[in-house]
Amino acid sequence: MSFPIRFNKSGNESVAETEIDRRGPSFMSRKMAAPVLAVRTGILFRSFKTFTTLKPFIPVIPQYGVLTHTANYHAKPLKLNLKDPYIPDKTSEKTPEWQLTEKFDRKRYGRYGDASGIDPATLWPTDEKLEAMIKDEAEWHPTLEVMLKNISLREEEEAAKRRAKEKLIASNMAKMPKMVADWRRERSETKKKMAEEKTRKDKLLAEARERFGYAVDPRSSKFLEMVAEVEKEQKKKKKLLKRRQKEEQAATPLAPADE
Amino acid sequence: MSLIKKPGGKALDVLQNLPRITLANLRPEPGSKQKEKRRGRGQYGGNRSGRGHKGERQRGTRPRLGFEGGATPFYLIIPKYGYNEGHSRRPQYQPLSLKRLQYLIDVGRLDPSQPIDLTQLVNARGVTIQPQKRDFGVQLVDEGAELFSAKINIEVQRASEAAIAAVERNGGVLTNSFYDPISLAILIKPVPFFQRGQPIPKRMHPGEEMVPFYMDPCARGYLAPPEQVQQARLALAKKYGYVLPDLSRDELFHMLSSRKDPRQIFFGLSPGWVVNMADRKILKPTNEKLVQYYGS
Repeated sequence: MSFPIRFNKSGNESVAETEIDRRGPSFMSRKMAAPVLAVRTGILFRSFKTFTTLKPFIPVIPQYGVLTHTANYHAKPLKLNLKDPYIPDKTSEKTPEWQLTEKFDRKRYGRYGDASGIDPATLWPTDEKLEAMIKDEAEWHPTLEVMLKNISLREEEEAAKRRAKEKLIASNMAKMPKMVADWRRERSETKKKMAEEKTRKDKLLAEARERFGYAVDPRSSKFLEMVAEVEKEQKKKKKLLKRRQKEEQAATPLAPADE
Repeated sequence: MSLIKKPGGKALDVLQNLPRITLANLRPEPGSKQKEKRRGRGQYGGNRSGRGHKGERQRGTRPRLGFEGGATPFYLIIPKYGYNEGHSRRPQYQPLSLKRLQYLIDVGRLDPSQPIDLTQLVNARGVTIQPQKRDFGVQLVDEGAELFSAKINIEVQRASEAAIAAVERNGGVLTNSFYDPISLAILIKPVPFFQRGQPIPKRMHPGEEMVPFYMDPCARGYLAPPEQVQQARLALAKKYGYVLPDLSRDELFHMLSSRKDPRQIFFGLSPGWVVNMADRKILKPTNEKLVQYYGS
């Protein structure tokens, strides 16, 4: 940041002085309102309202432009004894400690100016203090460039993190339809299996009822024996069926050979 | 015998003979003021004046808002959700509406022919800034945007978009700029500072979290490049549908184009200078180290 500061480079350690504008700094002048102005303002405001409520945000015609009147306010004079300022006797024991400090000296210069007898060169920090200030600033107040760099780095980091997360989400979402289909198929298969199991059991129970003439407890040994028997029979049947099939298969290839 | 009848009759006579309106014979409109109730008088004078018996209720020493008699208060339990994170450390910006700004200008408490900054606003008693209470300055609110008609060069800390538009529509200039608490305290009360006999310090840059805002041309940040600010001004004029007045042809161009340096606290005063009010002098350092420190 370039800074158009104008310093007087004549002296080395000395102090250059310039006069303030005689009108005084602007913060000392205006403050209060003149009642006359207030009346006129009221009238203008009234006319303004009727004018602007119709077109709320159209460029307003500056009816009274920039007011040249500003209320003149003369600030209360500072109650300072400029003719005979108090200068503490630094060698005296009676002078309180707080009047011997550098801060108090500055204050006296600020209040009484040159009449205080303070050397203005002492108002600025000494070399050691200035070094401490520079060090402090370097530690606690990074320059704009550094801050901008930090900000861009942080933003990049955040963007990279977000991009990684988005990528992960996208890849997972791509897998999603297959996973859903798998889950549906598995569910229907288990349902089917359960239904089959149930029909088989019902069938067995019905058979047992037919055989024994009454409803049998599926946990009873009688029932279990029956189930084992039925399974044996079924196995036998299966075996027979297989054998017959084999025989048939053995027979059929021969037939074309005979022809 | 016939008297000539005056128009207006008696009423005009009365009006002409009445004394002038002064503060001495002005009074509030009848019925506009309610008489304060005097407690502790009359039949039940010795009783408790309707405040109940003993304790915080009677003595009006109720604990602060949100205090639950020593239990962990709600507002401290809620931080789990982050709504109140750092609520005691958040920067505060005192609101200043365009309506009030117009009023201050109309009654002459603010001079629109000079750049307006916090010093002027505080001096006109337009806002009250308390840097110790985490006030970081003033925010310009768009209330009264339709009746705002002054051409000003104003420097605030935050401003709503409509407020920026209202200022620029009239050919004015608005800048959002940052002051660290120390600079802010100096800016709002310059005279007590000058009486301390200290060199004016450098204005510090905003913290990292505020830098993007003050570099944003749309927010009219003071660190934004001027060309981008001009483009943003044109864009805003297009958005709000007004013709942006040409500043360079303005008779107040010099005033309207004056801005502070990012390191500067007062207009016309650079960091490192000492103001001697008693002798009406400004002291400038010449030591090279000091010049370098205050000039960087």
